[in-house]
Amino acid sequence: MKLPSLFRRTPFRLTLLFLALFAAAASAILAYVYFASASEAQARATKDVQSEFDALTAIYRTRGEDALNQALVERTIRGGPYLYLLTDGAGKVVTGNLSVLPFDPGTQTPGMGDWDTFRLTSTDAEGHVVNRRSIGVIMPLRTGGKLVVGEDIGDIEESLARLTQALWMAMGGVLLLGATGGLIISRNVERSMGRLNAVVAAVRDGDLKARAQVRGGEGSGGDELDELGRGLNGMLDRLEASMASIRHAGDAIAHDLRSPLTRMRAKMEVALIDAEAGRVSGVEALEVALSEADHLLKTFNTVLAIARLQAGGAPDPQVFDAADLAADMAELYEPAAEDKGLEFSAEIERGLMIEGNQPFLAQALANVIDNAIKYTPTGGAVMLRARRRSSGEIEYSVTDTGPGVPAEDRERVVQRFVRLDNSRSEAGSGLGLSLVSAVLEAHDGRVQLDEGPGVYGGFGPGLRVALVLQPAP
Amino acid sequence: MRVLVVEDDAEAATAMVRGLSEAGHEVSHAIDGAYGLLEAQRGGYDVYVVDRMMPRLDGIGMVETLRKDGDQTPVLFLSALGEVEDRITGLKAGGDDYLVKPYAFGELIARVEALARRRETGGVQTVLKVGDLEMNLIARTVHRGTTEIDLQPREFQLLEFLMRHANQSVTRTMLLEKVWEYHFDPQTNVIDVHISRLRSKIDKGFDKAMLQTVRGAGYRLEA
Repeated sequence: MKLPSLFRRTPFRLTLLFLALFAAAASAILAYVYFASASEAQARATKDVQSEFDALTAIYRTRGEDALNQALVERTIRGGPYLYLLTDGAGKVVTGNLSVLPFDPGTQTPGMGDWDTFRLTSTDAEGHVVNRRSIGVIMPLRTGGKLVVGEDIGDIEESLARLTQALWMAMGGVLLLGATGGLIISRNVERSMGRLNAVVAAVRDGDLKARAQVRGGEGSGGDELDELGRGLNGMLDRLEASMASIRHAGDAIAHDLRSPLTRMRAKMEVALIDAEAGRVSGVEALEVALSEADHLLKTFNTVLAIARLQAGGAPDPQVFDAADLAADMAELYEPAAEDKGLEFSAEIERGLMIEGNQPFLAQALANVIDNAIKYTPTGGAVMLRARRRSSGEIEYSVTDTGPGVPAEDRERVVQRFVRLDNSRSEAGSGLGLSLVSAVLEAHDGRVQLDEGPGVYGGFGPGLRVALVLQPAP
Repeated sequence: MRVLVVEDDAEAATAMVRGLSEAGHEVSHAIDGAYGLLEAQRGGYDVYVVDRMMPRLDGIGMVETLRKDGDQTPVLFLSALGEVEDRITGLKAGGDDYLVKPYAFGELIARVEALARRRETGGVQTVLKVGDLEMNLIARTVHRGTTEIDLQPREFQLLEFLMRHANQSVTRTMLLEKVWEYHFDPQTNVIDVHISRLRSKIDKGFDKAMLQTVRGAGYRLEA
């Protein structure tokens, strides 16, 4: 199966999305840090320059321009962080470590205490010309000259630039790592998804045996994709089982319908030969053929009934007394049992209200009683009971002293078309108990098969079939 | 008796007309519910045999219309639908009996005759008489000639049904439906066993056997 291009794969797209979010968040933090530290540094410098300016202004005000000049000369010689400039009325430099008035005289006439930001051109240790950011404050003097006090804040700018660079590099690294990680995760997820996709594709192409490999086996290990794989495997198990049962039912229907069809065909052919030879009228053979056809129809109807019960549940439910049904069935079947030389007894509690489809439940109980009579040899016994279990459930049970069903086969005999080998010779579609099971399932009930009363005097161990139903609400 | 068959499947209809005619009945055929309604309204029929599924007007619609018009002629519904709800729908619409396709001719004829007969003997009777067999419905006693016959309650009901349909075939399915009032397939010959017990009570020791087995159909109580 062809995988979609890298950018259309979910894990990679998620990685990209997260990286984009991360980059946006990092940029926002960076911008905040930048502006916060820049403005703080500048505010500190401004404060320092202001206090120096205030000190010089005080000297000028109290002692005059010469004293100011004197102070500036001293300060310039002493060195320090500050920049000074004193000009005369003509704009010529009198004192200071600045060579040019930073304020542009053409465009503005700076007033007392005006601030300006400017670039201080100088050369660094290696002789490169650098423009360093500086700030300054100005005071016009009575003589027309100007006093400027400033500070070179190029260091702040430099450290900010270094900080910015470091942050950008860190972000680049994170993005690179993130993208690589995303690719690896994406690759891993894709590998797991690919395995699941391969299973789906194989099943689509008809291989119901394909299963996904999962870590953690049948338990609960592995990640959610393993969980998904387990779910997929479970679904496929179920699907395969039901496909197998459908195929089995199909085979079984074909098998069970082929035998009577074959018999019917043979009988009709013989009858045709006999009739042509004038030996018989053919009426008898036609009657046999009719009865075979009826048997086939009965099988079809039962298959249909089972299918409908399984698909749609029990139709037309009514509340009725399970005891009445049991009593009627006992009355209906007792003569047949006695005719076969079986001892038939019934033990029926009164007042067992249930809700369900009476004809289908009658059919289910009839099938169980009929089986008991059919498989119990002459001299045996069949007992029908209807009672309320201590759990409150209503139970019909039919116990016989026939050969019973081996424990390992009990689950199997309620499946469709299963007849145990030793009962193949008996008439019947092999659908009797399957219909019983379908009827009970449609009523939220169940069928339980157990051993009968045990082996005694050549009889047994017998079979006990219980139909367990919910009591009517 | 006169039977109106309303059936859209030509082959099924031909077979049915043939079968009912062979049994001695006068049969007319309508090809759908609408024609069936027209034919029925001309009157004179003893039983209508109506298919459930037909074009134009289906069986349910046709019978509902007839019942609304006051026509009480017995109706036997035929249907490929065997579900319990379908049976109930049919009976609610005014049908008197319901037969699922495919059916045996014996079954169809027995049911048609039973429906027609029920109409003839609609009145309340206290004593049923068939030949020398006499049933008193009040005293719940049965005599054949002068001999009193002791019957279990179910045997009494069974005999009552057979006497009400004397000289007429009744099928095992009909007996299970009408006497036991159950609609299911009993798998084995349970009804036969009950009949043979009843037979041993009413026929044993008498010259003439009244309870006859009809091949391919069921039983008949003959006078």
